[in-house]
Amino acid sequence: METNPPKTVASPAAPNPPAAAVADPIIDIQNLDFYYGQNRALDDITLQIQEKKVAALIGPSGCGKSTLLRCLNRMNDLIDGTRIGRGTVRIHRVDIHQPDVDVIELRRRVGMVFQKSNPFPKSIYENITYGLRIAGIRNRSQLDEVVERSLRGAALWDEVKDRLHDSGIGLSGGQQQRLCIARAIAVEPEIILMDEPCSALDPLATAKVEELIHELKQKYTIVIVTHNMQQAARVSDHTAFFYLGRLIEYDETRTIFMNPSNPQTEAYVSGRFG
Amino acid sequence: MRRFFDAELETFRSHLILMGETAVRQVRDALRALVEGDSALARSVIVADDELDTLEVKIDNEAVRFMNLRAPIASDLRLVIVGMKAGHDLERVGDEASNIAKRAIKLSAEPPLKPYVDIPRMTEITMEMLRDALDCLLQGDEAKALAVCKRDVEVDNLNRQVYRELTSFMVENPETISRAIELMFISKSIERIADHATNIAEETIFLFRGKDVRHTDEVKKVGPAVA
Amino acid sequence: MPDAAPSHVFQRRSTVVRRQEALLAWLFRGATYLVLLCGALLLGNIVWRGSQTVFIPRPPFVNVAFLTQAPESLYVFEYQGKKMELGDQAFRQFKAEHHLADIKAESYVYSAGGIFPNIVGTVLLVVGSMAIALFLGVSAAVYLNEYARQGRFITMIRLAILNLAGVPSIVFGLFGFGLFVIFLGWNVSLLAGWFTLAFMVLPVIITASEESLKAVPRGFREGSLALGATKWQTIYKNVLPYALPGILTSSILGIARVAGETAPIMFTAAYVVRDKLPWEGLARWTDFFFQGVMALPYHIYVVSSKIPQNEYTERVQYGAAFVFLLIVALIATTSILLRNKLRNRYKW
Repeated sequence: METNPPKTVASPAAPNPPAAAVADPIIDIQNLDFYYGQNRALDDITLQIQEKKVAALIGPSGCGKSTLLRCLNRMNDLIDGTRIGRGTVRIHRVDIHQPDVDVIELRRRVGMVFQKSNPFPKSIYENITYGLRIAGIRNRSQLDEVVERSLRGAALWDEVKDRLHDSGIGLSGGQQQRLCIARAIAVEPEIILMDEPCSALDPLATAKVEELIHELKQKYTIVIVTHNMQQAARVSDHTAFFYLGRLIEYDETRTIFMNPSNPQTEAYVSGRFG
Repeated sequence: MRRFFDAELETFRSHLILMGETAVRQVRDALRALVEGDSALARSVIVADDELDTLEVKIDNEAVRFMNLRAPIASDLRLVIVGMKAGHDLERVGDEASNIAKRAIKLSAEPPLKPYVDIPRMTEITMEMLRDALDCLLQGDEAKALAVCKRDVEVDNLNRQVYRELTSFMVENPETISRAIELMFISKSIERIADHATNIAEETIFLFRGKDVRHTDEVKKVGPAVA
Repeated sequence: MPDAAPSHVFQRRSTVVRRQEALLAWLFRGATYLVLLCGALLLGNIVWRGSQTVFIPRPPFVNVAFLTQAPESLYVFEYQGKKMELGDQAFRQFKAEHHLADIKAESYVYSAGGIFPNIVGTVLLVVGSMAIALFLGVSAAVYLNEYARQGRFITMIRLAILNLAGVPSIVFGLFGFGLFVIFLGWNVSLLAGWFTLAFMVLPVIITASEESLKAVPRGFREGSLALGATKWQTIYKNVLPYALPGILTSSILGIARVAGETAPIMFTAAYVVRDKLPWEGLARWTDFFFQGVMALPYHIYVVSSKIPQNEYTERVQYGAAFVFLLIVALIATTSILLRNKLRNRYKW
């Protein structure tokens, strides 16, 4: 007996268009193709992300969600042999691959938090001020202020305010990840990209980071890649489901999890994906 | 891909199916007992109501357990929720059938009031509605479900007709009042069963469309209300 | 009657595999001790014989003359029934004082005096060549590991560098002679010696530096770049400091090699004998780089094979070898201390 009755809706082959073309999306991806050498990792991706909202990218391993995330701050440039096939990525209506774009400035405005937390083996203070120092800011009082603001913003201030000069790698896993978030917001980005930020954390630390994301979205646009269905449901406003490099469905999180249009999406979120 | 706990969902569905079949059987038997004056059949209906009660508890427990341990999403979640609600509706159907059977026993002690015309007609429609609603639950035929919702008005009209007839009967022949009242209650029970069938149909639409259509224009009864 | 201890599930038993295990462990142990033994014998010999030259029973307990004077010839003669050994200058003085114009004496070249110019030469050569080697080597390693696009060409470059490590040091000497001494016209000079030695030790430095750079986790680079740093800022602030301990370790190996090689400096920087120290008698200060020097390993070579051997030359040989070991140990220790300090500061 089938556990899922057949549906009379959209065919699985055609990906769904975005839920509603947003008036002025902060990130506007149009028909993006991306290659690792000869390998096409992203296939005709069209996606628009709204400002000051959380967008979750979900999908099985190897579907291209991390690749897309890394396209947004051009971290893929660091890997040999990668290229954009066609299509554009626009942030604030500017094509970030056009020749006169300063990649350094792009990466300041589009911050990133990695899956494996990578605090530098310097003190907590030096970790946070790293981004400012490389931009040339040396004024001690200014740095102090930014450190406090960032640590408060990352919900870490109370835990470390007495040991700012202790090494960053001496913190617990959850604290390290929040330190990385604080480090990212110290340079005052507009967009924060998070690549499975909680996958190495225990449930309590995960809850703290999710709580933090909820607060952060008042000031920053957040794009988060996650493997955890429940996390995507808890944390995001919009969810995009990727499979084999294609965008299958992109809609409000509520819809994706209650009643997705595409049967592949349904199969994935229910855990039936093989 | 099959998950190791998919069997639990299948068991859940099979219990739902079993409950549906039992409820339909109860209603059919209760009405036969009434029409044929068969007290023994009526008594067996009353006893069999326990089955439906047990099944409802079982379905509720399975649903809660599944939600707790398997964190269902999307269609799995809707199935579990609808299952619980449909189980409740079917249990009420069983109770109404049981009530009909009790009254049938009372009525069988006396000669029938008049040839039963409207009540069997109501029963036929109601049983069709119930069967269709249960079919939709399993097969997902949205159009059929909507049709069930719209047929409810027929049963309501027939119910009102029965009331009018029996009222005029009672006015003309006061000695038939006690029998007439029993019949009116029985008619009411059948009408309630039809309402439950409509509920199940609405839940079915929620299950398959993901949209709650209760109290919306889509399911509002059409057709003139018989004055 | 006492019971034998009952055997249990985890009872140890003697099997082929376990015997093999024990045998191999002893084999490895034996090999290590053999190496230690040979090393100890070698070093022990030098230390024992050499300290007889370098240390003296009377205060100040160190043969200062040996360490501060230039090599001289030794004169052995009899005077009033006593056997006397005097160096060149002292002998002349003695003859003048005692009016012995024609006393018969046996002379032994280089067996008196000291090795001061040689020490100076070796130290200068080591410091200069290591500075050049570290600068060129670390730069090359940074380029190969951080900037270059990995591909067949870079792999070939790495292979070429590795091959360079297998080139005999005499070939380096001839290469240096041809390029620096003749072609560039530097003549036998410090500069020629520095560059020749530097190229000789470059493969080790580059390879070890690359390994140290590779060992720094990718996360450091990614994290830095994601904050808006340039590539050089990232390397300078977040990669190099953590690779330095490894780089310094490789430099310790380099120092030992550079200090001890004779063949490369034979044609390019070293004189058998030179009466001036490199900073003496210069017309301009830049001439310093074009002075030749005396060097310890070359001196040991000369004393051991270019002149007749006797008890007096042996004294000098062992003394020079001992001093040489001390110098290398001193420079290496400094390097180790520096590395440890850096390791503590840039712990990761």
